[in-house]
Amino acid sequence: MRRSFFCLFVFLFFCLFFTFQIQAQQYITLGVPTSLKLIEGYEGHKAALLAAEEINAKGGIKIGNEKRLIKIESLDIRDGEPGVPVQEALLGIEKLILDKKIYAAVVGNFRSEALLAAMDIYSKHKVINIGTIAMTPKFQEKILSNPEKYKYSFRNCLDSKYLSQYIQNMMKFISKEFGYNKVYIVTQDVLWATATGSLMEKWFKENGWTVAGFDKYPVGATDFSAGLMKAKSAGVQVIMPIFDMPTSGILVKQWKGMKVPALMAGFISPLMGSKAWKTFGSDIDGLMNIVFEIGYFPIKAYPPTVKFSETYFKRWKEDIQSGHGAAPAYDTVYILANAIEKAGTLDQDKVVSAIQATDMEGVIGRIKFDKGHQLIFGDNPKTAAVGAVMQWQNGKMAVVWPQSIASDKIVKPGWMK
Amino acid sequence: MLIYGLINSAVLALMAIGFNLTFGISGVANFAYGAIYVVSGFITWIFINKLNLPYPVSAISTILIIGVFGAFIYRFIIKRIRGLVISEVIATFGISIVILEFLRYVGFIGFKYSLPMFLSGSVEVLGAYVDIQRLLIIGFVILLIIALYLFTHHTKIGRAFRGIAQEEHTSLSLGINPDWIASLSMGLGSSLGAFAAIVILPLGTITVDGGYDVLINALSVCIVGGLGSTFGIIIASLIIGYAQTLTATYLAPHWTMIVSLFAILIILVIKPSGILGHQKELEERV
Repeated sequence: MRRSFFCLFVFLFFCLFFTFQIQAQQYITLGVPTSLKLIEGYEGHKAALLAAEEINAKGGIKIGNEKRLIKIESLDIRDGEPGVPVQEALLGIEKLILDKKIYAAVVGNFRSEALLAAMDIYSKHKVINIGTIAMTPKFQEKILSNPEKYKYSFRNCLDSKYLSQYIQNMMKFISKEFGYNKVYIVTQDVLWATATGSLMEKWFKENGWTVAGFDKYPVGATDFSAGLMKAKSAGVQVIMPIFDMPTSGILVKQWKGMKVPALMAGFISPLMGSKAWKTFGSDIDGLMNIVFEIGYFPIKAYPPTVKFSETYFKRWKEDIQSGHGAAPAYDTVYILANAIEKAGTLDQDKVVSAIQATDMEGVIGRIKFDKGHQLIFGDNPKTAAVGAVMQWQNGKMAVVWPQSIASDKIVKPGWMK
Repeated sequence: MLIYGLINSAVLALMAIGFNLTFGISGVANFAYGAIYVVSGFITWIFINKLNLPYPVSAISTILIIGVFGAFIYRFIIKRIRGLVISEVIATFGISIVILEFLRYVGFIGFKYSLPMFLSGSVEVLGAYVDIQRLLIIGFVILLIIALYLFTHHTKIGRAFRGIAQEEHTSLSLGINPDWIASLSMGLGSSLGAFAAIVILPLGTITVDGGYDVLINALSVCIVGGLGSTFGIIIASLIIGYAQTLTATYLAPHWTMIVSLFAILIILVIKPSGILGHQKELEERV
């Protein structure tokens, strides 16, 4: 009797052992270490899950003769939340690498300093990292400073240099269309926003614009009347906002309420998604917003965006609200899958080479990386990844720039005519 | 600037009235006040958007629910530690963190949470266009102060409130149950916080982090005006509100965040009990 039990125990042990072995072989684990409670991280995680499910539904990633399924392991490292030390975020990343044995990380850090520090961890463990949120140009500088060491890190989203270029293009376009050259800058009082504002102030002055004022509002501000009154009395034609705090929608509401006769054109994160119209109503009509990466809402001129936004809605029963991070996260999983299939192996160095050579169609446009492992942006989705300028027009997110995907022309708010 | 300064002052006063009332009567500094403000916004949002209740029904239901919730906090938590000031602060601040972080944990993130305006549109006042909702806030503050005055001077419970606030032990000898009154004051203070949320939040969005900002604003107004003094907080709101507007107009908007902190610093140096506060006034004179 005892011998039978012993045999049964040994049999079950081996069954379990081999089951785990088989499972471990079947999956390629991708980590999503990010701030899951912030909208870009929350939606980026869901977009990555969607891509993984699609790939798994087709049998997985082909490596030689076998197919491997993708498994997503997420961890809320909270580095985008105020007061969370960088060290805590780094510990989270290392935990994912060591405990979950992730092959690669996607979505990734919010804060630039956390990303720069995390690059060393990814290099140490030879884990591929394709981030879609943090935007510092120091990322490329660090890679170019030691390409061999930092070759495992890539960025598949806009960086702050490209953001400045897009805002400049928007202002050139407004100037060309209406002949405007007087602007008032309002930004959130945080480093990335004030830095972008300062860069733009310099650019405006060098390009014949008059900057009537530059106001920085503290995080959580709910009254922007002082700046708007100054802008109105200065007779500016454009107000350029740079904000990502939730209360910044009030700025646009007050702009309409106070009937300030100027275009509102810049970046206000809470007003990027379809729900903004439901939240703020027609008060945001006429606002022009920079879309960091296309793909999160349907653009007829570029069909992959239509397909992706429909698929995302079907899977998660809600639209993407963030103009940054989610669509690139979806593409990132495909970038990895394609690179692994091309390399025909999971050897990190060979897969990194395949990612460097990526040239594929994504929902954010054509995906190619430069020598600093930064995604290349342009103004045509057939040749490069693309950001855009959209304007709220009667509840519709109308693309007004670039010409390659524009569906509408800029409409001035009613009180300006 | 005149009109926006007044509106800013009204917003600050509305935020602080509930906190002040609870402290003035029960002596409890309710550090969960900011969390109560935020949770009121989310409850109203759920009633309107998920249960499809009419706005007035949602608003009144929220005020009542939050009132009961506030009274429960007193009965089941604060009552056991009443009089131990540090313990009260730790307990209420702990409740605040639990509520706010729970809201964050269950997914109240993003920009979609907003309450509808009572009346949309704007009107021209003294040469400046102002949202009607902002003007309504001024009206609500005036009405609220009148209502509170009538309540505390012409109702039995209101008189009991004042009795406890003036001299708890003597009130006890007159048959007033201090725990019951303190519990009611906590409930009423919480309801006033909910009312403030329903009136102010249509101007923007409901965010978890907003709870901490509301607490800081309420605290600064109460400290400057004098903890427990309704007229003190009105004066303090006007001072801080106009100082913030003047700072934003003539200096720079990002300095507005230190105005209230600077006001606290000055008042603590000159008159630690606040402009019209009576706490520790005797010690100050000595």
